[in-house]
Amino acid sequence: MAQCVHSVQEFVQDSFVPMVAVLCSEEAERVTRKNNLSFDELLRPFCRLTSEGHIRDPNNQVQMVKNLRICINSIVPSPSSASASLSPAQRRLLDEVVLFCQPQEGAVTSVITAGDYDFNFSSKFVLQGTEEHTEGLSTTPWFEAYRETFLQSMPASDHEFLNHYLACLLVVSSSEAVPVEQFLKLSQEQHRIQHSGEYTHPKWFIPNTLKYYVLLHDMSEGDEQRADAVYEDMKQRYGPQGCYLLKMNSRTFLAETDEQIPDPWSQYLHKNNLHNQVSIEQSVSAVPTSNNVPYVCWALKLWMNTLVHHNLQLETVSSSGLLLGLPTVNTDLKKPDPDHPCGGTGNHGACLTLNDHDHIRQFIQEFTFRGLLPHIEKNIRQLNDQLVSRKGLSRSLFTATKKWFGGGKVPEKSVSEPKSTCGLLYPPEAPELQIRKMADLCFLVQHYELAYSCYHTAKKDFLSDQAMLYAAGALEMAAVSAFLQTGAPRPYPAHYMDTAIQTYKDVCKNMALAERCTLLSAEILKSQGKYSEAATLLIKMTSEDSDLRSALLLEQAAHCFVNMRNPMLRKFAFHMILAGHRFSKAGQRRHALRCYCQAMQVYKGRGWTLAEDHINFTIGRQSFTLRQPENAVTAFRQILVNDSQQTSTQQGAFLREYLYVFKVSPCEAILPELPLPCIQGSATRVYFGHERRLAEGEKQAATHVSLDQEYDQDLTAMWVHLEEQLVASANRGVIPVTFQPTQYCLNNQTDNLRLPLAVVEEPIIVEVTLRNPLKVSLELSSLSLLWRFTADGGSSSKDEANGEVVTNEESLASGVGIWDICLLYKYECCSVPEKNIYNIHRLRIIFQMTLNDDIITNEIIPVFHLSPEETKMVSKQTGLDMVVTGRQDLKIQGPRLNQTKEDKMLVRHGSDQRLNPIITPPMPLMEVFFLKFPTALLCGEIRKAYIEFCNVSAVALCGLRVASTHPSFFTFGSQVTTPVSPNSAENCSAYKTLAKPPGSQTGSGAAEILVSAEDFSQAPGVIEIPISGGTLQPGGSTQLPLWLRGPDQEGVHEINFLFYYENTEKGGKISHRVLRHTVFICASRSLSVQASACHSSVPQHHPSDQGSSDGALVFVDVENINTSEAGVQEFHIIQVSSSSRHWRLHKFINPSKDKDCKLTSRERAKLCFRAIRCKLHQAKYTFADLNLGNEQIISSSTPCGDFFFRCCQTSESQQVAPSKVSSYGKSQPPVCAENRTSDISSILKKCNELDLNIIVIWKAYVVEDNKQLILEGQLHVALQTVGKEASSLTPRKVEAQEMVLLKFKSEVPPPVVPPSAELSQLIKTSLQYPESYSHAFVQDSLCVVPVTLTLTNCSLAQADVIIDLRHKSTNPDSLEVYSPFTWVGQTQYKLQLKAQEVLCLTLRACFLQAGVYNLNTPRVFAKPVDQGNLCETRQQTSCPALMIITNA
Amino acid sequence: MAVCIAVIAKENYPLYIRSVPTQNELKFHYTVHTSLDVVEEKISAVGKALGDQRELYLGLLYPTEDYKVYGYVTNSKVKFVIVVDSSNTSLRDNEIRSMFRKLHNSFTDVMCNPFHNPGDPIQSKAFDGIVSGMMVQTG
Repeated sequence: MAQCVHSVQEFVQDSFVPMVAVLCSEEAERVTRKNNLSFDELLRPFCRLTSEGHIRDPNNQVQMVKNLRICINSIVPSPSSASASLSPAQRRLLDEVVLFCQPQEGAVTSVITAGDYDFNFSSKFVLQGTEEHTEGLSTTPWFEAYRETFLQSMPASDHEFLNHYLACLLVVSSSEAVPVEQFLKLSQEQHRIQHSGEYTHPKWFIPNTLKYYVLLHDMSEGDEQRADAVYEDMKQRYGPQGCYLLKMNSRTFLAETDEQIPDPWSQYLHKNNLHNQVSIEQSVSAVPTSNNVPYVCWALKLWMNTLVHHNLQLETVSSSGLLLGLPTVNTDLKKPDPDHPCGGTGNHGACLTLNDHDHIRQFIQEFTFRGLLPHIEKNIRQLNDQLVSRKGLSRSLFTATKKWFGGGKVPEKSVSEPKSTCGLLYPPEAPELQIRKMADLCFLVQHYELAYSCYHTAKKDFLSDQAMLYAAGALEMAAVSAFLQTGAPRPYPAHYMDTAIQTYKDVCKNMALAERCTLLSAEILKSQGKYSEAATLLIKMTSEDSDLRSALLLEQAAHCFVNMRNPMLRKFAFHMILAGHRFSKAGQRRHALRCYCQAMQVYKGRGWTLAEDHINFTIGRQSFTLRQPENAVTAFRQILVNDSQQTSTQQGAFLREYLYVFKVSPCEAILPELPLPCIQGSATRVYFGHERRLAEGEKQAATHVSLDQEYDQDLTAMWVHLEEQLVASANRGVIPVTFQPTQYCLNNQTDNLRLPLAVVEEPIIVEVTLRNPLKVSLELSSLSLLWRFTADGGSSSKDEANGEVVTNEESLASGVGIWDICLLYKYECCSVPEKNIYNIHRLRIIFQMTLNDDIITNEIIPVFHLSPEETKMVSKQTGLDMVVTGRQDLKIQGPRLNQTKEDKMLVRHGSDQRLNPIITPPMPLMEVFFLKFPTALLCGEIRKAYIEFCNVSAVALCGLRVASTHPSFFTFGSQVTTPVSPNSAENCSAYKTLAKPPGSQTGSGAAEILVSAEDFSQAPGVIEIPISGGTLQPGGSTQLPLWLRGPDQEGVHEINFLFYYENTEKGGKISHRVLRHTVFICASRSLSVQASACHSSVPQHHPSDQGSSDGALVFVDVENINTSEAGVQEFHIIQVSSSSRHWRLHKFINPSKDKDCKLTSRERAKLCFRAIRCKLHQAKYTFADLNLGNEQIISSSTPCGDFFFRCCQTSESQQVAPSKVSSYGKSQPPVCAENRTSDISSILKKCNELDLNIIVIWKAYVVEDNKQLILEGQLHVALQTVGKEASSLTPRKVEAQEMVLLKFKSEVPPPVVPPSAELSQLIKTSLQYPESYSHAFVQDSLCVVPVTLTLTNCSLAQADVIIDLRHKSTNPDSLEVYSPFTWVGQTQYKLQLKAQEVLCLTLRACFLQAGVYNLNTPRVFAKPVDQGNLCETRQQTSCPALMIITNA
Repeated sequence: MAVCIAVIAKENYPLYIRSVPTQNELKFHYTVHTSLDVVEEKISAVGKALGDQRELYLGLLYPTEDYKVYGYVTNSKVKFVIVVDSSNTSLRDNEIRSMFRKLHNSFTDVMCNPFHNPGDPIQSKAFDGIVSGMMVQTG
């Protein structure tokens, strides 16, 4: 907002001031030149009158003239005619004025808050608080300067007299030989200029111009008395009112005094010269030439400006030779002062004392009040008289006569002619012009009321004459004088102004006048708060012909919008952009930049991306051309950083521009930051450790952790669980409080709160994810990772103070570091658009750090070796000249916190220490390799592989352990065996075998070995690896055999191993290290083994032999369920072993006498064994091997026994869960019943318990690649109870679900009666009798046959047994083949059987005739001794015991 | 018909802008943005006394040399701006009004979409269709 220093009234008043011409003699000019000023310049600061003047109007009323300013110019006559528009020189001047008036850098910035917008004006401002908003008014000094210069440079025209000269000062120096003659000469000169008709410029107000004679006396050199004498003479000649003696130059030029004379010229005169100086000085410093040149340059420039300022028409000046100013200036140029090479403000008025200033001031006052005002007064009176004399004639008549008689004047009515669009032209003496003249005079002496009425009259006259230019001028001035009238009798007629502007612009095509009118009107409207109207006016005035004017006016209009009652900031911004555009077209780059910057404040960050990009782009361009590359870079960067909505070609253009600017901008010490591509900080992954080799020859390395693996929450939890197990086993079952799971790869999902630990001399791999938000592809090259390491040296100095030797460990331990990682890269632009908008490039930077220390000086000097691995993103090489180098900081924002209420309400982020590792002293590093590790196995297949542990570090390691998700999958063997190299035993069986003694028969008694379970048992899951010596020395490696057993279930199994090892020296920051390995094993079906057992009813033949009378039959069903057609040809079952604490397999019952048990596809074999109870050996397991083939495999030795125990452990742990469920279901029945039943059932269970584990060892013949391979394997079946079938295939999960379902159904308590099936097995009975018996019934009609009933108590409790032989055929189902027989003798026995007692009763059966009889009729009731009658139950005798009686 | 249709959020950032001569997009952005001043002026001019009874259609915001800018403000202060070619004299106030109503209805549908996050730029085929319908009829 153009906030004037003066009020609007003052501004308007000052726009139209009385003009006074100056004619100087050469000598006088020389006198003033001493002050480096021309005479008119000398007077200029004193042209405003401080005292009041008076004037009498035609009605003899005294009119006050306040604060009058006069304008004194030296005459530069020119013959050119008035032009409607500004000359090029004038334009150039205006350009310069605006150019040199710039807002100061770092000036006070004001903040305007309007609505939700805040914005700054970077210049001085006035704040006006209103209740609704804060109205900020900032100055636009360039506009004021422009306006001032423009108004001053208005060419005088014929239709108005305001800037015509009213008077002329004739100045002669006293040192002149004959001053009076000089006065005459000058007077003639003036007359010639005014009346000869040679010159159209300057224009004179009144033919009879006031001449004022000034005698200039130089105090320093002239004779003062002579001057006084001449002055006396002048007074005589011209009257005391018409002449003046001005004494000046009281101070000698060279006298250097410390007296500070105020320099009033500096502000009035050539404001722009100051700027000139500055700019010239700058250019001077850049060009190191002789001392004279800059001064000449400056002086020339100054002179040009002065000259331009004087007459505004440079061409004419230089063409016409008679110039008053030029020679003197030239002389100035010729004598450059060495002391003041650049001049400066101080040399204006150097010879003037303060007294001289007063003299000048006095002179002006004298001239104005004595000379000028009376002159004007006289002229007004004259004109008024003329007008009054004509008043008698009516206006209309006057015009009528004019029409009829043609009149004295010939109005050139030329409305039809396009040439004179201004309407008609009046001759200078036309009466209409006299009114105008009077009005102008009145206006100049501030008699606005009279002026208004005159203008008004004149306007009517002009309008009726269709003299449009005149009319417009009158309208304009009428409006202005109406505005200036004090007390405001009438409102400001804005429509006058509008009409005037319209007329000037459209009819007269005089843009300069229209502009002046607009400037005035806009200022007046603004002062009345009519901002919107003012803005409209200003905007209307913008046109194509002058960019500078349009720009300035648009800017003013924009300021109007922001100053409205409801600030229209968006309109402001838009017009600022328009103004900026025009400024840039006008070459005013600074102003353009300023405008765009101000507009930017409105658009910034509000989603108007297209507009924002456009503004940023322009700002960038303008800044660049103004040599502000930093700003340019910032602006362009803004375009690229925002998610650009532009098209790809546009983006490419922006990028190219940015790269160019970036390249050109001065390089700083630190690399500049590049905005692209975007680093996705949170996606950064940091990997500690070496890149693993996956395979080395036939060795297969442990998979460990790599960056290729995606992060998996479950998997991580699993690893942590394994690690916990390992740590617990290493610390005697307790997990230390300080335990933290090892993290090798950190990403955004891992726990990054702690500083990660990195080991010295091990690489750290940082993976950075870059995103290109543009639709243009970027090419990156020469990427490298910058980092900083800070050694924490505090501990070393402390050690030194204690006089201890700084050891290696201590110094290394002190290497606690902080890292700053940022990314250095170059990228270049190529114009190929990418189809993929979000093009994520991955880049990996690997670097290695080595820490050395200098032992001699006891100081730690870390040395780092950076070996970045560069990754080329795009191989295409285009536009190499556009390559820029920059950096980007790698910052990681932690995850958003969401725990507390504060966290939820605010957006808080946690810390992320991913990139701040602590470097710790060396740690052992182990690598694990696998040899002959299979990828596919049959279920239960046993395979021998080898594992190799290598210590690749310089530190010994110990405490090697492994944990796995599938502990039953592998074993290292229980005994420490000397490792056999894998090559030596190529085709050997994994099993340990004994050659079978040739004589021994198949199926004969089983070999029996007792093994203690402790030999095999270890903590579940964790296995200590039996390496020799327990430690692995640096660089050492060891190889161990590893047996694998295919999982029991088919399918692909993911098996995870976690190896654990420790430093031999404890107490480091890292307590242990782990190594992960994951294998996938594809298990295919092999055999299914189903086994069941039942009490053998056949009594032992040799009970004494076995020590136990008890026996059981074990049936093993083996089925080949292998489905692969090609692979497995047949399975051979080579051995069946048992392992149990109580039982063992005794004999193979082989009815078919098959030597070998062979199973081809889908075949099934049934094997039958007899098992016997073995002696109790506490916790020892009895292994019994029954081999069906030639070799005996020692099942109790390494692979077989190991896997047996491992399988047992896992199956036991698995069974815990279901049993819990079932116990819950059982807890429903009432307590009283439960007590008893549980007793019985436990007894019964015991008696049925078998706990026999069957191991089926098989061989499979497989054809693979035309080679026959023999695979071996073993399957385990655990027979828990007699009669229940067990399978090698683990039961399906479905069963567990069924149990859960049952739980809901079992609301009704189950019957108290113990299950009869179980009770029935309490006592085993068998009848022994001859199969056929011949009896001669003829001889004896009764045939009595002795039958032995053997009762065996299966349980470990005493049992009461009741045997009832009485035949009761109550049961209709019972099979009665022939006529019954009867038992004779004692028919009922009551017996008590001790635990596992076998009792034989001899019964006698009596038959009456021959036939077949079922002897199985005795009913046996049994009950445990302590139980009540309730539970007596009939013992089942299942099969019929048939006896044939024949008649002999 | 229309050469540019814009939906502006309450906070005066664009939710949707589409213009027909695509090469002049920037100009329309500027035009629409500048028109918001007039919209705000008009809203405040109506005053708070009327409350909900406010007429949503604001009428002609301002004419430029080439275009006429019409405005419409929903009760939730979402602004619709339609820029029409000045040469197109066939369009009456009533037609503009119905265009706005149509636009408002479609906008409401967009807002009713449970998957639409209020405040996000509008990405709806249906809305696009309505808008292009209004633009295509240029003939």
